[in-house]
Amino acid sequence: MGRPTSSSSSIDSPNHFAFSSTASSQRDLTTDLRLGLSISIAPPYVREQWPPMKAAVAEEEHECNSSTFYVKVYMEGIPIGRKLDLLAHESYYDLIRTLEHMFHTNIIWAEAEMDRDHYEKYHVLTYEDKEGDWMMVGDVPWEMFLSAVRRLKISKC
Amino acid sequence: MQKEMAYSFPDEVLKHVFSFIQSDKDRNAVSLVCKSWYEIERWCRRKVFIGNCYAVSPRMVIRRFPEVRSIELKGKPHFADFNLVPDGWGGYVLQWIAEMAGAYPWLGEIRLKRMVVTDESLELIAKSFKNFKVLVLFSCEGFSTDGLAAIAASCKNLRELDLRESEVDDLSGHWLAQFPETCTSLVSLNISCLGSDEVSFSALERLVDRCPNLRSLQLNRAVTLDKIANILRRAPQLVDFGTGNYAAELQPDVFSNLAGAFSSCKELKSLSGFWDVVPAYLPALYSICPRLTSLNLSYATIQSPDLIKLVSHCPRLQRLLFLIQVLDYVEDSGLEELASSCKDLQELRVFPSDPFGVEPNVSLTEQGLVAVSLGCPKLQSVLYFCRRMSNAALVTIAQNCPNLTRFRLCIIEPKTPDYLTLDPLDAGFGAIVEHCKDLRRLSLSGLLTDHVFEYIGTYGKKLEMLSVAFAGDSDLGLHHVLSGCESLRKLEIRDCPFGDKALLANAAKLETMRSLWMSSCAVSFGACKLLGQKMPKLNVEVIDETEPPDSRPESYPVDKLYIYKSVAGPRFDMPPFVWSMDEAVKILH
Repeated sequence: MGRPTSSSSSIDSPNHFAFSSTASSQRDLTTDLRLGLSISIAPPYVREQWPPMKAAVAEEEHECNSSTFYVKVYMEGIPIGRKLDLLAHESYYDLIRTLEHMFHTNIIWAEAEMDRDHYEKYHVLTYEDKEGDWMMVGDVPWEMFLSAVRRLKISKC
Repeated sequence: MQKEMAYSFPDEVLKHVFSFIQSDKDRNAVSLVCKSWYEIERWCRRKVFIGNCYAVSPRMVIRRFPEVRSIELKGKPHFADFNLVPDGWGGYVLQWIAEMAGAYPWLGEIRLKRMVVTDESLELIAKSFKNFKVLVLFSCEGFSTDGLAAIAASCKNLRELDLRESEVDDLSGHWLAQFPETCTSLVSLNISCLGSDEVSFSALERLVDRCPNLRSLQLNRAVTLDKIANILRRAPQLVDFGTGNYAAELQPDVFSNLAGAFSSCKELKSLSGFWDVVPAYLPALYSICPRLTSLNLSYATIQSPDLIKLVSHCPRLQRLLFLIQVLDYVEDSGLEELASSCKDLQELRVFPSDPFGVEPNVSLTEQGLVAVSLGCPKLQSVLYFCRRMSNAALVTIAQNCPNLTRFRLCIIEPKTPDYLTLDPLDAGFGAIVEHCKDLRRLSLSGLLTDHVFEYIGTYGKKLEMLSVAFAGDSDLGLHHVLSGCESLRKLEIRDCPFGDKALLANAAKLETMRSLWMSSCAVSFGACKLLGQKMPKLNVEVIDETEPPDSRPESYPVDKLYIYKSVAGPRFDMPPFVWSMDEAVKILH
């Protein structure tokens, strides 16, 4: 339970402090926001765990409602697109698995590692958000992604 | 003259008089009158409520109140409900149980909220308290059905077992069978949080059969509709019932069996559950509807027309909980029906069916709430999720319902302005605090400037709990609240531009409150250290999961901050991502 209080403590080891990759990417975003910028700037701001509902209530909705959220998915070089129900997936990992299966390729996204020697075997997954920008998939929390995504694109590396 | 007075009431008489004083506030006042009253009172206090388990140590409680029979403890801060408090933060009950096991052999009641309860804790409870009667685990976690089995097997006179909204590890469905055949004392059983495999239905049936005093029973989702009739026929004395799954193909014999079973429950006043509700089975409830005072449909996927039909059969409904679902919705029309039928309504909760969706999926707006405020003059408590609001609507609501004690509004998109004027919603919430003079709890949302906090500080004199998110412009906002709200006990803030100035200027105020939570605000590490240094009666804790706060400049804002008053000093069970700003802790390291 001890923790370093001196400034010479090492923070190099990523295992030293428990944190999820989601938390770290959010911290990077808030770092950018805070360094010299005021908190009251316009979106995108980090908005995890919103709206304020108990998990059980929110999860019930995803489990037992019959709503769907289909988005178009295009792969670069293939004129005919596919459609995918995002609400049938629970997380990014779930989604990536489906896409890799659907398009028979290896998908690069925010959490992925790539074998740089064989880049031709990989495709990058991006999404178009509400503002029309193309963003890499996986930087923001899953729920936030669901509310922002309009369609998906899988491009060659 | 003084001597005469001192001997005119022997201790036994005073003890007897004090036994009529139940409220903690009154008992605390009694104990301040004089030393002998303090002594008499502390020996006869039977019930202790501890709103923050870290505000005091078990040993201190035991030392002052040696004869406690009932204890209530709360652990994690409220924002833990929304996943803002990382796992492993704390709130462990084991040490409390261990100390009380030795000191309170006659402890009969334990009520816990947002605490981590392990199987070891439950086994210790089962072993240590021979007269154990009541166990309430509200929003707790950390235990499994093994722990429950220990409680069931050992607690011979168990009256109440309530696991509402807790997270239970499913290891075996047979824990219920551990209740001995001689156990006939159950009055209340709430297992609604359990998953599919965690209940043996035949054991449940036998248990219900042999407990003639069972008044309150909440089943879990695994119990199917066809089984409800069996349970109800064994417990026609039930007052409060939570169904399990309320879905099945419509079959006339199942329906009539169910309707008959419900009608045999002459005392039934309160219903909940209704997972996956199939509207065709709702008429089975009509016979009991005229007696219903409480209806919790927050898990029910029910459409507005079916709801309207059901509600029109429930004129005495006093407390109603709704959940709006995609494709199935209450909508403004359902609330308007409620407003015209349920004149005694005191509490309304409307949840979103599609909380993460961008576009509204149902026609529920501020109009529904306005209708209820107009039609239900006794309305006291509101929790309402919606996608748009106007100052005009809030002013109307405030004027219609001056008796509101709890008002929690969540406009789903942060910083949403008045949809009619595009103004901030300052004036609307200002009207709420101005007109509702007994308001104790308030949650804000929408576009809000420092002005709303000025209103709150000016009018919110009875406000005890305030929740704020994505609001305000500057430290002035926080200053208004801390300097104006005389009754403030709990303040929780996220994503607001509040920094050091207001906090440091009102440091003394923090000693009069239970706790302050601030996350994603602009309070610097330096200010936290200063507070920890200057305010020995406060525990100042910084939460940061990514790196230690002192690895960055002192002016850098902290991620999450939790400040609470405590007579126990800094806690010893902090995980690596929680840093205490207490000077003493620093020196030890």
